[in-house]
Amino acid sequence: MDLSLSKSQLMIRKNMRKFASEVLDEWAGVLDRDSTPLPADVVREMGRLNIWGIQAPAEIGGAGLDTVSYSIVIEEISRVSAAVGLGVTVHNSVCLAPLLAFGTPEQIARYGPDLATGKKIGGFTVTEPQAGSDASSIQTRAVPDGDHYVLNGQKAFVTNGGVGDLFLVAASVDPAKKSKGIAIFIVEKSMEGFEVGKIEDMMGMRGNMVSELFFSNVIIPRENVLGRPEDGFRISMKTLDIGRIGIASQALGIGTAAYEAAATYAMERKQFDRPIGTFQAVSFMLADMKTHLDASRLLIYRAADLKDRGMPYSTESAMCKLYASSTAMQVCMQALQIFGGYGYVKDLPVERFFRDAKITEIYEGTSEVMKIIIGNDIIREFNRF
Amino acid sequence: MLSIIVCIKQVPDTQKAVFDPKTGAIDRKSTDNIMNPDDLHALEMALSIRDRYGARVTAITMGPPQADDVLSEAYALGADECVLVSDPRFAGSDSLITTRVLSRAILRLGAFDLVITGCEAIDGNTAHVGYQLSEFLSMPLITQIHEFMIDGNHAIIERLYGHEYQKIRVSLPLLLSMGKNSNRVRIPRLVDIKECGEKPISLMTLNDIGGEPGEYGAAGSPTVVIKTEIFSHTRGRAVLEGGIEEKVDAIVHMLKKQNILRF
Ligand SMILES: Cc1cc2nc3c(=O)[nH]c(=O)nc-3n(C[C@H](O)[C@H](O)[C@H](O)COP(=O)(O)OP(=O)(O)OC[C@H]3O[C@@H](n4cnc5c(N)ncnc54)[C@H](O)[C@@H]3O)c2cc1C
Repeated sequence: MDLSLSKSQLMIRKNMRKFASEVLDEWAGVLDRDSTPLPADVVREMGRLNIWGIQAPAEIGGAGLDTVSYSIVIEEISRVSAAVGLGVTVHNSVCLAPLLAFGTPEQIARYGPDLATGKKIGGFTVTEPQAGSDASSIQTRAVPDGDHYVLNGQKAFVTNGGVGDLFLVAASVDPAKKSKGIAIFIVEKSMEGFEVGKIEDMMGMRGNMVSELFFSNVIIPRENVLGRPEDGFRISMKTLDIGRIGIASQALGIGTAAYEAAATYAMERKQFDRPIGTFQAVSFMLADMKTHLDASRLLIYRAADLKDRGMPYSTESAMCKLYASSTAMQVCMQALQIFGGYGYVKDLPVERFFRDAKITEIYEGTSEVMKIIIGNDIIREFNRF
Repeated sequence: MLSIIVCIKQVPDTQKAVFDPKTGAIDRKSTDNIMNPDDLHALEMALSIRDRYGARVTAITMGPPQADDVLSEAYALGADECVLVSDPRFAGSDSLITTRVLSRAILRLGAFDLVITGCEAIDGNTAHVGYQLSEFLSMPLITQIHEFMIDGNHAIIERLYGHEYQKIRVSLPLLLSMGKNSNRVRIPRLVDIKECGEKPISLMTLNDIGGEPGEYGAAGSPTVVIKTEIFSHTRGRAVLEGGIEEKVDAIVHMLKKQNILRF
């Protein structure tokens, strides 16, 4: 068993760290403070570097990387700006990845290259005001009509909503069939009747233009259904399996940033004539932080590796997301404690890490939903009576 | 099309390295091997000339077989071709013999217009090889380059010269030596990182570059290292008291005392 990274994975980490510190670092605080998106030239530069097509094949302009490498890219970006990490992971893993996995050759040819190069930014939207954890209860309707569908409804909390050009939208084509009646549609922002609603004023992830979306009589050609119309819910669940590796990596990035800031500070800050990091109370906190972060990383790489080897990884993906997100939250809380009062003011990024970390326990399935997934797997395995 | 050769070296990352207090040698396990930082600037210079004028960029390194890692990295950044010059009989070469090996290997690569090296390597810090190479290859050496343009078979170069800029016109071929901060090294695309390990690296050995074994390696090297010592500095902290005049005087006095200010 070899747990070390390959030369190429190490080179990816080194260069993404360089990109994040040379380019993203100056924006991270600004995006958070002003709740504005990344400037277009940075988005373009990320396109040149293949950051919008991390796992997409080289033929359509992506980098064709394995999933461990994918996790490394998301971790390194999120260490500096979790909000940028969010945009990148959602675009890649829950928009481009399902398009490539379930799309027809025509759909891939039509949308793949622009997404993989970042000329178009993508999103994925299931959640509605009345449908959160219970995704099968969505009310957005798509009514078949000749060679097209007519889409009506409202979506909530759409990552990349304010900046995206293309969204995978879950809508019910047959409410009587509940989850079996849900289809995924490829919806373009330019379509008549598509409207971006309010941009959310959030606690964290403020550099992502998370928004509402409204559809009123949007005409969607039949060829824009992703996969079979009755498979939408299954596609969504499979998509979230991929997505959760990304969210876990994002959580790992936030936690790592907080831990490193705290460890550095703890050795510099002196009270009672010694670095506070040499007090056992503080070094034990750091020890816990480091151990949980490493455990998160290993759980993430295990899920990623299973995926790359074509093995089932749904439970492992839920486990790494559950663990990495709660670790991020815990680590940020401890980091803030180590910074004392300085952790509470906005001059330092620690309070931003803390605010950004919380959502990783909520989106792409809450921690409770992760436990439902893991628990169901345990029930399947042990409940034989 | 211009042909550009970039000399790069694999070095231990001395910023992370731990030194053996007895021998003064680097504990190789304590650190990773990286591309020498100045050489990244040399490669960036070559790539930026290629971007503007079109060129074929060949990266060359002399070192043990595992030095091919820096060549893969050169491929990721955009080199067109990479050459590893490696032979057990080169082991122990000092900077003079390294220059002999590199110059002979470069001459085997065919006609070229520019050779670009880093100013110095962070392991030995001799800054010998680039300068010696210009002698061995009988061509001008230009340092401290601020702006570089090609004009026919000449280069027009603006370089830092003391406190001013000097603009010169010089005929090709020539050697450029690049120091830190001379340019901003590009970040490779992810796809190029993924593919760089699969690109072919040509190997040159003693048999390919010619000469007698006695001319190379420790046997051929006139330099003798007598002793390596570890120096360490610690930062001091001084709090100056008094009015602004007194404080300035105190700072000037301190700087003079340490021979930093000399007038
Ligand atoms: C910044 C941000 C970005 C987002 N991006 C997207 C996006 O791009 N696309 C998208 O579709 N959605 C997105 N979401 C929505 C997100 O996925 C949902 O908020 C999440 O799934 C939870 O749904 P909810 O908020 O409606 O909470 P609810 O489902 O109402 O849950 C409230 C609480 O009840 C608990 N709960 C619910 N059901 C159960 C149960 N059966 N057993 C135990 N506990 C339960 C939950 O765990 C939670 O603690 C985003 C949200 C935010 C805040």
